[in-house]
Amino acid sequence: MGGVLPASSGGALSRPMRLVRLVLFSDYLVLALTVLYVAALWFAVPEIISPTNLNDIFLQVLPLFVAAMGLMMVLLVAQIDLSATSIMAMSCVVGASIMTSQGGYLAGHALAPVAAVLAIVAIGLLIGVLNGVCTIVFDIPSFLVTLVTMMFFSGAAIWYTAAHTNSGSSIGALPSSFLAIGYGGIAGIPYAALITVGLAIIVHLMLTRTVFGRWVRAVGLNPSAAAISGVPVKRVVIGCFALSGLFAAFAAVIYTARLEAGTPILGQRILLDVIGAAVIGGVSLFGGKGSVIGVLIGVLFLSAVDNGLQLLGLSLSSVYAIKGGVILLAAVVDAIRHHLLARG
Amino acid sequence: MTITRREFSASVLAAAAAGTMPGAARAAEGGKTIALMFDAFDSDFWITGNTILKAKAKENGWTTLETISNRDQNKQNDQVKAMVERKVDGIIFIPTDNNAAIPAIRTANAANIPIIFFNRPPAPNDNKYVAIQADNRKIMQTTVTILVDLARKQGGKYKACLLMGDLGDNNAVQRRDGALDILDKNKDLVEIVSRVATEWNADKTFAGLTNAIQANPDINMLISPSDSEDTIIEQVLKTAGKWHKTGEDGHVMFAGFDGDQNGYRLLSTKYMDVNGVQNLFYEVDLAYGAFKDIWAGKQPDKMLIDPGFAISQATLESKRDDMWGYHVWKEKNK
Repeated sequence: MGGVLPASSGGALSRPMRLVRLVLFSDYLVLALTVLYVAALWFAVPEIISPTNLNDIFLQVLPLFVAAMGLMMVLLVAQIDLSATSIMAMSCVVGASIMTSQGGYLAGHALAPVAAVLAIVAIGLLIGVLNGVCTIVFDIPSFLVTLVTMMFFSGAAIWYTAAHTNSGSSIGALPSSFLAIGYGGIAGIPYAALITVGLAIIVHLMLTRTVFGRWVRAVGLNPSAAAISGVPVKRVVIGCFALSGLFAAFAAVIYTARLEAGTPILGQRILLDVIGAAVIGGVSLFGGKGSVIGVLIGVLFLSAVDNGLQLLGLSLSSVYAIKGGVILLAAVVDAIRHHLLARG
Repeated sequence: MTITRREFSASVLAAAAAGTMPGAARAAEGGKTIALMFDAFDSDFWITGNTILKAKAKENGWTTLETISNRDQNKQNDQVKAMVERKVDGIIFIPTDNNAAIPAIRTANAANIPIIFFNRPPAPNDNKYVAIQADNRKIMQTTVTILVDLARKQGGKYKACLLMGDLGDNNAVQRRDGALDILDKNKDLVEIVSRVATEWNADKTFAGLTNAIQANPDINMLISPSDSEDTIIEQVLKTAGKWHKTGEDGHVMFAGFDGDQNGYRLLSTKYMDVNGVQNLFYEVDLAYGAFKDIWAGKQPDKMLIDPGFAISQATLESKRDDMWGYHVWKEKNK
C-alpha cells in the first residue's frame, strides 16, 4: 500500500527517480525502515527479536504513542506544543500528592487513585487550554507560549514536589491499584495497552469521521480559507491544544504508574522523542497532514532505534547523534515532500 | 543522480559487514559481564568512578557495558531491561530518583541479576539489592569539626555561608545535616548568615554565592557540599576580593567535599582548609566484593558504608594517597 504519487510536471522521469518518488511518498516507508533496521541489527544483537525484548519495546511505545498523538493534533493545525513534557511533570506530581500513602490528601482512601487520575487529566486539559487561548486569542506564536509554559510548569512541578516531600525529589508510596496501570492487565493485555488503543481509536475516528476532524485539517492546510468557509478556526486551535495537554496527561498516568512515583522531571528528556516520533510518522510540520497509524509507525521506529542502540551498548553521545540525525532526516524528507506536493 | 546496481549491492554488503563486527567481537569475550549504568557524568566524581570501576573490573577479568540515562529515570529503567536481555552478570546502578528506581530493582530481581546501587541508595523497599553509600553526614561532621577547630585556634567570630547542593539528592541532604550538626553546637563561634541551594547547577551556585556575599560582605567561612563547585566558588570569591590563602589577611575559611582534583589543588595551594573525602577506591572494592559474595551464594548486607575521611592541609601528605582526586591531579600534572 502506498500514497498517491503527485502528477508529474512534465517530462518522463527515469526509473530510479520514479522509484525514489514512490518510496518518498509512501505512507509505509518508515515501517519498512523499522523492519530493515531490526533485521540489520539482528546480526549484532540477536536479542533484539527475543519475545521479552519485543515485549519491552511494545511497553515502551505505549506512553510515547499517547503523548505523540496529542502533539499530532497541534501539528495538524500548524502549531507546536513544547510544554507537553512539563504538563506530564506537573500533572503527575499533583496526582501523586493526592494518592501517596505518605501524607497524601486522600491517603488510604479507596477512591484516591481515581481522584488522582482525574486531577492529572484535568491539569493537562487546563494547561492545554491555556496554551491554546494564549496562542490564538492573543495571537502569540505557539513556540513562545509553550516554551514559557514549559519553563513555568517545570519549575512549578519542582516547587510542588519539594513542598510535599521531605526528600524533595519525588513522591512515592503510590497505591497498588494505581500501579496496576503500569504493570497489570486483563486477559494478558496490559491496562496501559487498553488505554492507549482506546485513545488511538478515539483520535482516529475523530480525525476521519467527524466534522471536527475535517476542520482540523482545513485549518492546518489553509487557516484563511478555512475561516472564510465558516470553520471556527480559534475554537479548533484551542481544541487541539486542549487535546495535546489531555494526551500528555494520559501519558503521565502511564509513566507515573511505571515509575511508581510522581517525579517533577518526568518526561524532561523526551520532548524530542515525542516531536520526532510524530514527524517521522509523517505528521507535517506545516500542518494538515498526519494520521494515528503514521504516528504509531514513527513511535515504533524511534523506540526500535533506541532499543537497538541500548542493546549495542553505544555511548550516550552516539545515541543522541544517531537519533538527532534520524529526526533531522525525517524533517528534511517532510520538507521535500511538502515542496514537491506544492509543485504538483 | 543515478545509482548503479553494483554500487547499491556494494553499499548493502558494507552495511551488513559493519553490522556483524560488534557481534563477532562479543563472541570473543569471556568471563563475567558487568553493566555500569550511570545517570549522568556531571562531575569528576562520576567520571573517575567510572574509570575506577572499569579498571577494577578488568583486573578481575570482567567485561563492562556502559549506559547513561542523562537523568531520565524512565529511560534508565528501560536500559536495565536491555542489560537483562544482554544477560549481564551484575549491574552497578546510579539512579536519578531513589523512588522511581524501584521498578529497575524488580526487573533485575526477576532475572536473578544482582543489582548494586553505587553511592545513591534507593528508597527503602523489600526487593533484593545492595547499596554502597558514603556516610555523607559523618564525613561532613568530621570535616566541619576540623574547620571549626581551625577557626577556634585562629580566633575571632565567623559568618558562614552554607552551600547545599540539590536537596532532592539524599547525599546533599545528609551533607547539609552533617554541617548543621556541628555548626549548631558552635553558635558562639559561627553564625550561618546564608544558605544556598545550588541544585548542583553551576549557574545557580554562581548566582547564589554572589548574592550571599553582596548581602553579607563579611562572610569569612564557606562550606561546600561538592568539589564540583570549587571553580565557581573560586571565581566568585576572586571577584569579591576574598580569594586569599590560609594565613593571609581576609582568608575565607573553606571546607570542601568529595576529594576531587580541584579539592586537592586548593588544599595544596592553601586556599582550602579541609576536605571531606568519599573513598571511591574503597566503594568500588565494596561493590565488587558484594558481587563476588552474591555469585558465591552469600547475601551481603543491604547497606555497605564507606566511612570516608577528612583531609586538611596538615594531613595532606599522609592521607593524599587515599584521595581519589589526588591521583587524577597527579595524572594531569605529570
